[in-house]
Amino acid sequence: MKNLTRRIAAVSAAAFLALNVAGCSVTTGNPTSDGGGEREQKDEYRVAYIARAQADSFAAWLANEMKAEAANYEDITLEVFDGQADDEIENRLIENAIANKFDAIIIQPNNADAQLPYIQQAVDAGIVTVTTNPRVEGIDGASSVDANPYDQGAIVAQAALEQVPENANVVVLNGPAANFHGTARREAWEKEFFDQRPDVTIVAEDTANWNKDEALTLMEDWSLANPKIDAVISMNDNMASGALEAVKGKSGFDGMLAYGVDGTPEATLLIQEGTMTATSLQDAAELAQLNLKAVHDLLSGAEDNVSVNVGNPLITKDNTQEYIDLYKEAGLIGN
Amino acid sequence: MLSRLRSFEASRYSIFIILVVVLVAASFLSPNFLSGDNVFNVLRQVAVITILAYGAMTLIIGGMIDLSAGAVMAFAGVASVLIYKSSNSMLLAFLAGIAVGVICNLINAFLVATLHTPAFIVTLGMMLMARGAVLELTQGQNVLQLGDFILIGQGNLGLLPIPVLILLIITAVIWYLMNQTRYGRSVYAVGGNEEAARAAGIAVERVKYQAFLINGALVGIAGVIFMSRVNAGLPNAGIGYELQAITAPIIGGTSFSGGVGTVFGTLAGALIVGVLGNIMNLIGIGSYVQQIVMGLIIVVAVAYDVFSKRGRTKTTILKSAPPVQPPPSAGESPGALENANPKQ
Repeated sequence: MKNLTRRIAAVSAAAFLALNVAGCSVTTGNPTSDGGGEREQKDEYRVAYIARAQADSFAAWLANEMKAEAANYEDITLEVFDGQADDEIENRLIENAIANKFDAIIIQPNNADAQLPYIQQAVDAGIVTVTTNPRVEGIDGASSVDANPYDQGAIVAQAALEQVPENANVVVLNGPAANFHGTARREAWEKEFFDQRPDVTIVAEDTANWNKDEALTLMEDWSLANPKIDAVISMNDNMASGALEAVKGKSGFDGMLAYGVDGTPEATLLIQEGTMTATSLQDAAELAQLNLKAVHDLLSGAEDNVSVNVGNPLITKDNTQEYIDLYKEAGLIGN
Repeated sequence: MLSRLRSFEASRYSIFIILVVVLVAASFLSPNFLSGDNVFNVLRQVAVITILAYGAMTLIIGGMIDLSAGAVMAFAGVASVLIYKSSNSMLLAFLAGIAVGVICNLINAFLVATLHTPAFIVTLGMMLMARGAVLELTQGQNVLQLGDFILIGQGNLGLLPIPVLILLIITAVIWYLMNQTRYGRSVYAVGGNEEAARAAGIAVERVKYQAFLINGALVGIAGVIFMSRVNAGLPNAGIGYELQAITAPIIGGTSFSGGVGTVFGTLAGALIVGVLGNIMNLIGIGSYVQQIVMGLIIVVAVAYDVFSKRGRTKTTILKSAPPVQPPPSAGESPGALENANPKQ
């Protein structure tokens, strides 16, 4: 045992010495990456889109829109990769895209902090790099296309200021812990609504992880413990629709207000039938258009850096038909 | 003190005592808990997981496991929704859900029983395949506008919610299968000691096929109820449900090493988990703390159950042993002694 320890120590010391003698320094990333420089003009560009998780309905919608939008560019071939909501897989996919020398990489991060060093590697390798939904801050040379989650929450919260009755009881449904979009939307509700309306009481608040079924179970229990709930404030539409499902047909909840974010097809239909009150649109089609345009402009040299946001229009009963028509056109709502 | 705890006659019913303690504690913690609305509420909430748990229990008793239950449930449920939307027939939709569950599980059975591949690996593969299939089928999008399909998950027959009615019927059927039929006795024997069961003339492969078949039908039914309850075909539904489905029978005394387990123990296990979640929501305990409490209760419940059964098993062996007895053969494990009478 003593001998083995001595041998391990000797081998480690020799290896350390060899590294020093050879003048090696420890670096991160793929050692074969060849860095930046003047961008070569090509007839065809290979673009990798690394999606957060294609099991997530919004991410899947965005991936489909990316594919559809890429088909409009003759000089772009888009390949979509699924990060499976796993940081390790997402990081590996970024490394693979760098190693396979894609001309551009669009990254929808699973966790901005976890992906940051890998995104930096892509930039350092001279690859056009765009982060989207959400953008990753603090990377020199990376571009971004995003919807601002604070604004998405704020526009709905401002609408609710006038609509939620005095001394109302509300419940709040949050996204997954530490999720960038969920946290920013909740912050918007705090500043734009709860700080302005101290008369409103939050009778229950919890995370339902963006999921309809988890929100349904929570609201079933909350509605029994609190027979008077005036509004559901949800950080996405999926959870808002789950909460509405729980009180469907239940006496005392007829006039309950419900707010979400995302503008999903289901939410537009619920707003039309009068059960949901308002949401703000996070438009996957617009995100896809701006992402592909950004990539094309960066590859062709028309732009050096892009940082844009999509709009976040408020959807209410007054204008929901417009969005239902759009979704019908896209085949996301049946006729 | 420990021996007194072990010899406590009621230890046979330890899981039911834990359930009663949880129910009594919950009724003190919230005045709403024992209201009629909430009782049906809890039963509705546990229906899907309990149905999945019966399938998991059957497989675990037979010495197998199913990690694909959550994904196959989503696949079956979405398939059922799509069939309903195209045919408008509730019967066809129900059958389609069951068919998808059964087909996926027959593939599992073929690989496990005929090709002797470990169930853990086979069902892990099926989990990925089923999830991929349902995502491909829907392109990751929720299926909406289900119309009257929601009656299965949200409707009532008189005062009784339909999912609860289905759960009661399934409980009776599974109890009958496990306790009153040759299949039931065989599955306990196969799980207790496969070689001994084979030597006793039991068609082990057929029993394994039957166990997967039952599991498939239950997973399919659970999928139909789930989608109907949430009023949408959700391709990402049921992530992690395979583990929740395994949790209930294990809390309820089903042994991971096979050959031991009861239907009412599984029902009690599912109710303990469901009631704990419900009461914590009613009194406003957040989900982070809920996870800690749930984990703790699971560990304590199972530890107490194992501990109390250990005492009982020793007593049973001592009582049944003649003054001089040769060493037990391979087939006579303490589990096998219990298996001799699986009735509850």
